[in-house]
Amino acid sequence: MEDFEQHLKNALGRKEQPAWFEAKVLAAATPPQSRPQPYWRWAAALAAMILIGTGVLVQEERQERAAGEAAKARLQLALKITVTELSKIQKTVRTSTEEE
Amino acid sequence: MTFAEVLRANQSMVFSLAYHFLRDPAAAEEVAQDVFMQLYRKMDDLDGAKHVTFWLRKVTSHRCIDYVRKRGSQATISLADVAEPSIPEQHGDPLLNRRLRQLIATLPEKPRMVMVLRYQEDLTPDEISEVLEMPVGTVKSHLQRSLEMLREKIDRSMGDIR
Repeated sequence: MEDFEQHLKNALGRKEQPAWFEAKVLAAATPPQSRPQPYWRWAAALAAMILIGTGVLVQEERQERAAGEAAKARLQLALKITVTELSKIQKTVRTSTEEE
Repeated sequence: MTFAEVLRANQSMVFSLAYHFLRDPAAAEEVAQDVFMQLYRKMDDLDGAKHVTFWLRKVTSHRCIDYVRKRGSQATISLADVAEPSIPEQHGDPLLNRRLRQLIATLPEKPRMVMVLRYQEDLTPDEISEVLEMPVGTVKSHLQRSLEMLREKIDRSMGDIR
């Protein structure tokens, strides 16, 4: 190799990177770890779901019970009316039988 | 090989390529970091240390050329504008080394990268042509013309060192 080329090799010898370079690249290449959700968040979410579910069930049960009570009352009224009407008819029949 | 091992083995090579080409330690650090981040995403596609080294040389060379093109007309700077970072010389005459680096910095992008790959990495014209994706004839012609220019300017300013 000619001297001149050796001079070029000397001039273009490898240089050391800055001391922090390796750590900087490794830090940039490592993805930030996803923070774990605290357990109480999951517990709170579960409790809220249970409360909402229970509330809905209780409300549905109340509505069904109210509807049942109303139907029962209507039936009782209808029976009363029927009994009254039947009594009246019975009375009328008895009166007419006695007259004969 | 893990990413950390590849980084440790090649960081000096990548940084030096960028440093000799750009002559700006901060810009060289930026380019070198970008190259390694690209490598990190590409690690699974590369097979073996030789392939990794070839890939790093290729990507670093292209990134340096792109960096200069984006930054502006770096190739036309005058010698007076070329900064010389204060890094201690390991071999040879510090004054001559400094002068040679200044002259190399005035070369257009591709011949400059050819010179850096040839004399920093000791690559053959065939290897340089693969890295820079250019015909071997063009690499040889860049080398010949750059050497002539450098010899002439060095002879003029410092006397015959051949």
